Amino acid sequence: MQLECKDLKFQYPGTNIHVFKALSLQIPGPGFHALFGPSGVGKTTLAKMICGIINGYTGEIATNEMNRILYTHNLERLPGWSSVRQHLELNTPDSSKHIVAELIHSFGLQVCMESRFAQLSLGQQNRTNLTRYLLQDFDLLIMDESLANVDEVTKEKIILKMKDMFPERCFLYISHNVVEVAKFCDQILVLRSHHKVPQAVNLSGQNHKDNQVLDKKALEHTMLEIVNAS
Amino acid sequence: MLHRRIYQFFIIYFLGLAVLMVIKYSLSLSDYVIPSPVEVWLTSRQFFPVYFVAVLNTLSVAILGHILSIFLATTVGIIGRLTIWVGSFIRVAAYNIQAYPIVAVAPIIFILLGDGLSSRLLIAAMICYFPLLLSFIGVFSEPVAEIEHFFESTLKMTWWLQVKIRAFENISKLITVIVGSATLAMVGTIVAEFIAADAGIGYSIRIALFQSDLAKILVALFLIGVCTSLYLVLLEWIGHMIQKRWEIPKGG
Repeated sequence: MQLECKDLKFQYPGTNIHVFKALSLQIPGPGFHALFGPSGVGKTTLAKMICGIINGYTGEIATNEMNRILYTHNLERLPGWSSVRQHLELNTPDSSKHIVAELIHSFGLQVCMESRFAQLSLGQQNRTNLTRYLLQDFDLLIMDESLANVDEVTKEKIILKMKDMFPERCFLYISHNVVEVAKFCDQILVLRSHHKVPQAVNLSGQNHKDNQVLDKKALEHTMLEIVNAS
Repeated sequence: MLHRRIYQFFIIYFLGLAVLMVIKYSLSLSDYVIPSPVEVWLTSRQFFPVYFVAVLNTLSVAILGHILSIFLATTVGIIGRLTIWVGSFIRVAAYNIQAYPIVAVAPIIFILLGDGLSSRLLIAAMICYFPLLLSFIGVFSEPVAEIEHFFESTLKMTWWLQVKIRAFENISKLITVIVGSATLAMVGTIVAEFIAADAGIGYSIRIALFQSDLAKILVALFLIGVCTSLYLVLLEWIGHMIQKRWEIPKGG
């Protein structure tokens, strides 16, 4: 199971600027991977192209066995008329019902369950939104700044829990945070400006997991690699 | 809310009356052209019960027409939100038809349906229907991407859920439009009665016009204003209750 983009060219209609000129990259099978790069380089555009929201590009995106690709971002909201509990009950497939309680506990959402979305803090909103996506059936989940506004300790707990609970799933984590990308991700796709060749560089991250000792020197080396690549 | 509306109406009405009296006495116009305040008072005492019943008759038709137009605008708005050709056709047709003055079409309605209740109801509904429709189509056609994305991508979206999301997100806009169109419903009913009906305050005004009795018209206008204000207050209160039910305190 892998996702492959070959020679992608894309520009938004009505503009002369190419977002991608000849972008090629691979997302190897299951794991927690990252899409990293400076603002405006096309991370969200690429994510939307992968999940079919944006079309009109040339080149090829081969999703192979990844049939169910979901994309979530940090600006999403839940409908305002129901509580978080009601929403999750209504929108969780039967196959995932057994992990609802565990996710709610791990993501620290117990206190939010009877509240409506607008009553939550930004961090709680993002955690709630991510939870409902994790409860869906998917092969690849693209998380566009999905853990923005979440404190570092909780963020680490969440990422480690996701890696532990869904080892057979593929995640593509879009973030601007070099430390968390270097620390938690398996493969790091560094996206660069369209005038750089190649436009995407693939690096290996530390892929830190729960109960694992972190090699700080290796982490620093990966962080340097990412910074240099971008 | 009620006090404010009624006060506002009283101020405007009596200002208008004062202007008429200034014109009358500065130009020395006869009572036949502009009646004296005493004559207006006597007419109001004499015709108040009759005109009150007539204005209630008009108001009931206006409310029915308003409800009918809200129902129609919701139905057509829901169909008009579709991206397929039916939705596109309905949107274009709505914009074109609303440009047509209903008063010009009204004679056809009276010829076909006669001068009874159905014609008044239909004209009232049509006059407030098009502004409602344009707003409803606008609301129902505008995606709320940050909410709908989840349901679209997980294939859980239904037409009912889509409508519910868009209506919920624009509830204050919808309420404002519905309250605003209430005046149009009243106007539509009076226009219909004025053209050809055989009941209602518009019909009474037409008779007063034939008699050149401005005092009767002023009494009728007073009652129309009071009843319209009361209806608007009622709608605003219903809207307020709906919003209060849905509104939730923000967290953080």
